[in-house]
Amino acid sequence: MRMWIYIVRRLILVIPIVVGVMTITFALVSALPIQDRLIAAFGPPPRNAPGGYSPTVPCSELHINKTGDCPNPLYVHDTDKLGLNAPIFVQWGIYIANSFTFNWGYVYNDSGAARNFPGAIAGLPVATVLGEFLPYTLELAIFSLVIILIVAIPLGNLGAVYRNRPIDQASRVISFSGYALPAFLLGSFLLFAFVLAIGPTVNWIDPSCKSESWYQFFYASWPAQTCYPGSSWPSWLKNGQVSSPTGFPTVDALYHGQWWLALDTIIRMTLPALVIAYGTIAGLLRFVRNSMLEVMNLDFVRTARAKGVPENIVISRHAGRNSLNVTITVLGLTFAFFIGGFPVVETIFNLLGVGRIFVFAILSPYDYGLIFGSTLLFTYLVVFANIIVDVLYAYLDPRVRLG
Amino acid sequence: MEEPKAALAPTTPVGPKGKKPKKARRAHRPNPRIAQMKRTWYFLRRNTLAMVGIGILVIFIGIAVYALFQPIPWTQLTQQCSTNNVGPYPPQNGCICTYTPGTQDPGPGCYQTPLGSPSIIAPTFDFSHGTLGPLPLGSLTVAPTTPIFFDTYTGLLRGSDWSLGISVAIVGSGALIGLLVGAISGYFGGWVDEALMRIVDIFLSIPQILFVIIVIAVLTTIPFFQPFTLRIVLLIIGFVIVWWPLYARIVRSQVLVVREQKYVEAARASGAGGGRLVMRHIIPNSVYPIFVQMSLDVGTVPLLVGTLVYLGFPLFATIYFPEWGAIAALSVFGSTLNNAFLTCQLGTCVIPWWQFLFPGLALFLYAISVNFLADGLRDALDPRLRR
Repeated sequence: MRMWIYIVRRLILVIPIVVGVMTITFALVSALPIQDRLIAAFGPPPRNAPGGYSPTVPCSELHINKTGDCPNPLYVHDTDKLGLNAPIFVQWGIYIANSFTFNWGYVYNDSGAARNFPGAIAGLPVATVLGEFLPYTLELAIFSLVIILIVAIPLGNLGAVYRNRPIDQASRVISFSGYALPAFLLGSFLLFAFVLAIGPTVNWIDPSCKSESWYQFFYASWPAQTCYPGSSWPSWLKNGQVSSPTGFPTVDALYHGQWWLALDTIIRMTLPALVIAYGTIAGLLRFVRNSMLEVMNLDFVRTARAKGVPENIVISRHAGRNSLNVTITVLGLTFAFFIGGFPVVETIFNLLGVGRIFVFAILSPYDYGLIFGSTLLFTYLVVFANIIVDVLYAYLDPRVRLG
Repeated sequence: MEEPKAALAPTTPVGPKGKKPKKARRAHRPNPRIAQMKRTWYFLRRNTLAMVGIGILVIFIGIAVYALFQPIPWTQLTQQCSTNNVGPYPPQNGCICTYTPGTQDPGPGCYQTPLGSPSIIAPTFDFSHGTLGPLPLGSLTVAPTTPIFFDTYTGLLRGSDWSLGISVAIVGSGALIGLLVGAISGYFGGWVDEALMRIVDIFLSIPQILFVIIVIAVLTTIPFFQPFTLRIVLLIIGFVIVWWPLYARIVRSQVLVVREQKYVEAARASGAGGGRLVMRHIIPNSVYPIFVQMSLDVGTVPLLVGTLVYLGFPLFATIYFPEWGAIAALSVFGSTLNNAFLTCQLGTCVIPWWQFLFPGLALFLYAISVNFLADGLRDALDPRLRR
């Protein structure tokens, strides 16, 4: 029962942070030209609207019997809707209300994103577009988190147990090089090495798709169109971009009974997940090792040894469990860094997730709706990941929730 | 752990014998901060990795100073390149003149490139090309199918100035702001602390790289920031806005400890005001932990600039920016890789390994050397880790 109270309290504490982030983005948005703001908020102007979003239109175009320029009714209406004529705190309130209700604006027709994105996103609401591509990123994130935990915890513990021995040095090397190798270099190296080392053609994963090269294999989220029966995408896989019903590629492939496709998406995700994991493990390893070192000097570990508990159980159950707290805290702290890696990795491997959408949004000319929408989305991810981390921490350490 | 001699030496009175020993002793009383610096240096010196890091760093700084005096353009390395006899000759601005097999050699200073890849020149020490001389690190492709490329050696040389300069500027100003905010927050406590730390929380919950991008994306719309030099100022501003909160948090946690120390109490008892307490007593005694973070971050800046360029962020779309991160990013740009894979599929495989290797190596060595240094500093400054 106390746990629920803790979670609710933690959720309430999140609201000021989210509002603060929205305030920062609001400050940035306010620096933009008004026409750009209108385009981002309401999408491209209707085709029959004279003058688009310009503040004034020649009166003749509005069929008003006057000479000279008249105020543009569309401009007046839309600026009013955003509160741009009202005091700044009213504008701020409208912005916050829109942000909380996922009124994140529309993708602009003429932006770099709409022109270059391999699919029709122009004119769609930003929240819809991001929502469609979010599950793919989430699956990639979960996959890399699993890799991180599988590698970092045992390696950190081993480093503490065999202190200053080769395995400790190895973990130190991994830690240092992970800091110093940017994801774009590491990912490109891996892509290059795999494609050149493995050979030209894939012929073991998908029996019906023998013509796909390794480069095509690692450079897409789904197999090429020619790999499917009748050389066309199945109806549940829209243009090879988004799958239905859930959007999680592996789940959907299994749901439609195509186990090879599920295996295929997992193998496609392995390299990107490794690249993301490598950078994060670097930040994590040292803390895991140091906290394990501290725990292993505590009294209860000595007691366990004195009782005659086997050494491997002392390490895995007594010391390991207790050093987990620090691991989880540090993981929460590095989560913003972890999330920030997705745009790069999804670009290297051409995976269609929200990170890739963000990268398209910053192609010139910018799509401000998408830029700020994806920033908010990523912030939500970081904030909620931190809540999950805190709850886990409270679960592992009763002093937190009871204190 | 034995106490270092360097730290002990100044504590013994070494005043000139005979004449006014009292006054002399006061003159030679060690400044505790200098004593701590000596102690830190003592521990740092015994750490092999940290010394390797310092060594690499010193070499890089030497390169940067050497590059300062070289007649290499600071920004536009990729204008007016010529290929296949097209364009002005002789080539300028660090460009290279090339010709494909089967066409005529335009003259001295021109290199033959493989068929289908008009801009790939492997490292060469061939002095017979005359005017341009050797190309020790090969050429760097900016766009694989167009003749826009330049000498990697020149780019890396100029890049050392940009990389080191920008990273020091960003980290220095970020740390300075963070130091002030953190010190105020930690010293005054109460609602000031609460408000400042919530702001820091807000800043830290936006992923760093995205935040830099949106800040710069918005500020570029301001016409004032159109010239190249001001765009670099913009880059620095964007990074600093994102960077200070981390330092504020570190400094605050340190100030919370320092402000309870006896010497601060003594200073307050002898009538020091808030400003003097913060500036003279609290800040100087809580800066050490941020040195560790600073040396880590100095290595991260070029990586992040590279990431910006890699993502195709059009901050420097028209003018090429010779910075290590940017060069490394260009070398693994999607189109560069695509072209390499394409040539491989055609059977005329040209893998431009030098394009990835040299900029990547510069970036990696720089980042890892400051990492070694940071690790050594952390161990030297934290007595618990010295065991």
